[in-house]
Amino acid sequence: MTETAKALSGVRIVDFSDERAVYGVKLLADLGADVIRPVSDEGDPLATRGPFDQQTGQSLWYAYHTSSRRVLHVSPDPQQPNLLNDLCAHADVVVVNDRHPFESELDLAQVRQRSPSTVIVECTSFGKTGPWANFLAPDLVAGAMGGSVGITGDAETPPLKPFGDLNFAVSGAYVAIACLAGLYCARNSEEGQFVRVSAHECIASCLEHVFMWYLYNDSFPRAQRRALERRGSLHWTDLYHVMAAQDGNIMVTPTPSLDNQLVWLIEEDAHDDLLDPEYQEPQARGKWARRMMDVLRNWVATKDVESLFFEAQEHHAPYGWVHSIPQVADNPQLAARDWWESVKVGGNTVTTTGVPYQHHDTPAAPRDTEEIVFDSEDVINAIGWGDEE
Amino acid sequence: MRPLDGVRILDFTHVLAGPFCTRLMADMGADVVKVNSRTRVQINAPAGPYFTLWNRNKRTVALDMSREEARKIAYELASKADVVIDNFSMGVLDRWGIGYDEISQHNHKVVYVQMSGMGGDGPWSNFVTYAPTIHALAGFTYTTGVPGRQDIGLGFSYNDHQAGLHAAVAILSALESRRRTGKGQKIDISQFEVAVNLLGPTLMDWFANGIEAQPCANDMPHDRIAPHGCYRCAAPDTGEVLAERWIAIACMNDDQWRSLQGVLGSPSWAMDADFQSGEGRYQRRRFIDAKLAEWTASQNSAELMTELQNAGVPAGVVQDGVDLMERDPQLQAREFIQEIEEPHPSMKRTYADKLPIEFERTPCDVYKRARTLGEDNVAILSDWLGIEEEAVRKGEEEGYLT
Repeated sequence: MTETAKALSGVRIVDFSDERAVYGVKLLADLGADVIRPVSDEGDPLATRGPFDQQTGQSLWYAYHTSSRRVLHVSPDPQQPNLLNDLCAHADVVVVNDRHPFESELDLAQVRQRSPSTVIVECTSFGKTGPWANFLAPDLVAGAMGGSVGITGDAETPPLKPFGDLNFAVSGAYVAIACLAGLYCARNSEEGQFVRVSAHECIASCLEHVFMWYLYNDSFPRAQRRALERRGSLHWTDLYHVMAAQDGNIMVTPTPSLDNQLVWLIEEDAHDDLLDPEYQEPQARGKWARRMMDVLRNWVATKDVESLFFEAQEHHAPYGWVHSIPQVADNPQLAARDWWESVKVGGNTVTTTGVPYQHHDTPAAPRDTEEIVFDSEDVINAIGWGDEE
Repeated sequence: MRPLDGVRILDFTHVLAGPFCTRLMADMGADVVKVNSRTRVQINAPAGPYFTLWNRNKRTVALDMSREEARKIAYELASKADVVIDNFSMGVLDRWGIGYDEISQHNHKVVYVQMSGMGGDGPWSNFVTYAPTIHALAGFTYTTGVPGRQDIGLGFSYNDHQAGLHAAVAILSALESRRRTGKGQKIDISQFEVAVNLLGPTLMDWFANGIEAQPCANDMPHDRIAPHGCYRCAAPDTGEVLAERWIAIACMNDDQWRSLQGVLGSPSWAMDADFQSGEGRYQRRRFIDAKLAEWTASQNSAELMTELQNAGVPAGVVQDGVDLMERDPQLQAREFIQEIEEPHPSMKRTYADKLPIEFERTPCDVYKRARTLGEDNVAILSDWLGIEEEAVRKGEEEGYLT
């Protein structure tokens, strides 16, 4: 595939992101944007994140998050004090976080003046204003304050952080949207702008039921309080729960049709008391549904997990077999779609995840990171961003 | 002016992932026309709180897609759209005659997004999924938990939000591509692939090193960082969920640990030479966790958070919905939750959580209530297709417009 075949080919981005936004820039780079990531002599702070390739010692986290970029090693150069501002003025989009290593060298207002069409996206933890604007929040703290940690875990556990960097994956995805919407607008108006993303608000915006439960509490007769307790995998509807089968766990739900689930249980002679008259009244529907979950729990315990999963899908029931990481890696659907990709990490070729969407005409894919050592007086032309390009 | 002014989106989505995507696009100014069906009920009911959350700023047209006349209108709307998006089971729009192959014949510029659970092909392409299904299959459920338990996972539809966000990225990138090529295209979004992608580094660890990630509570799965956890604080007086308060504390480097030592008052246990390095702290993290839990147990979580943050220690109250709504001064200062001005016909007061993207020049601060079934039939069919009101009313009388 040629470079021009990607959706964002020709879009120039300068990337000063940290954990809060780097995932979003990865999305744009894998879609074909030409992303330059300046890195100082001290190295990229993100390259210290694990896991590491045990053969080369290189960060796999870094390789994943910085795929498809060109990493530009920048040494302080008294001859070119304005190098980074020059670079940004030649970009369509600049992505920054507060507290990034080059903060003191960048003058983004000057960049906007020099290049009015450039879009500058700044991701902060809490926004530029407000009483918490200067608070520090790595993923765990961001998730705690943003609300995702408070609804993860159950009564037997502390509040739990969703595994990995799932909070910053949310702010990162919003950053990608901010870049592209800003770019769309700039293409039409020939005028860029500052765009600001608050990770705190991003996380709070992706809590499904939490605000609904508070704001519309009167609509839920079973709601005793305006916030639900931590309840593990049990969904706020009470109708999705991870249950133990004989040889593994499976997420079980009688939705979208409780009646179809009942028919299946009857076929299996496992319906217990679900046909009792006490459940026949319309007002007993909720009680009946919760009773069905109890009946399902007993029934699932007698089942082989793999068979049950496929049997459920034959019944159009969206059960989900709880997969470990090796099972995910071995998934036949992903294999059939030829989804996995590979990237070079310190000389090793490592399998990595494919992209989360398939553009039929301009397919995206992660590519190797390219290292550029700044050894030219004219870095802008050296990277192909000069006016004559 | 908003950034996506002029973009027309025909929206065949339901529940959360698809509507969340089109809500974002509508917040940013796109004209999103949601096609509703009278038969869709339960949490998708247009008069219910769940629906109103994800469908603000859109307009609705209600079609009875079992009728030929309705399918013809849908086809004409799709012919005028910049974007057509659905998250129905595979093949539904094809059966209605508005699949990509049909629409793109007359609308070469259309970006056509098929947002299914497992993707458009492959042996599982017809599988039925919701977010909890995806969480289970993608490894979220297995990995989010405490050691020894693989049944906890996420208690909310995280991946529906992520699928919506990624769909928005996909659409906007295709619009940029269209600007260059003049052509739209079809995009196949597998919500499963969205989820698996988010565990990229963990999967690379498996592929490169054969290391199988396990639930690790609040430890970082791949980094040796301590302290890094949630610690119980003094319980509130009354009325709180589970009568618990917690604080998250994460010292990501030695400087932050030294700051924490200062707030702790430099007790002898914390001054142990082993703890001056991250590795030393990590090796004895359970001891540190126990000591911190002892220390936080009698403290007010909000006051402690402020004290720690002022000292340069990343710390935050574990907030629930009541906290976010009533006690989070940051969200309040930034007016994150807003009451929508126009009352909803049946629900009366409805609310919007603000788009967390601030465009300085083209602010997105318009929040209009979710519309009721078919409320915009006349306006949409006039704006997009030039159909007169009389003809729309006739369609409503005949039942193919509902």
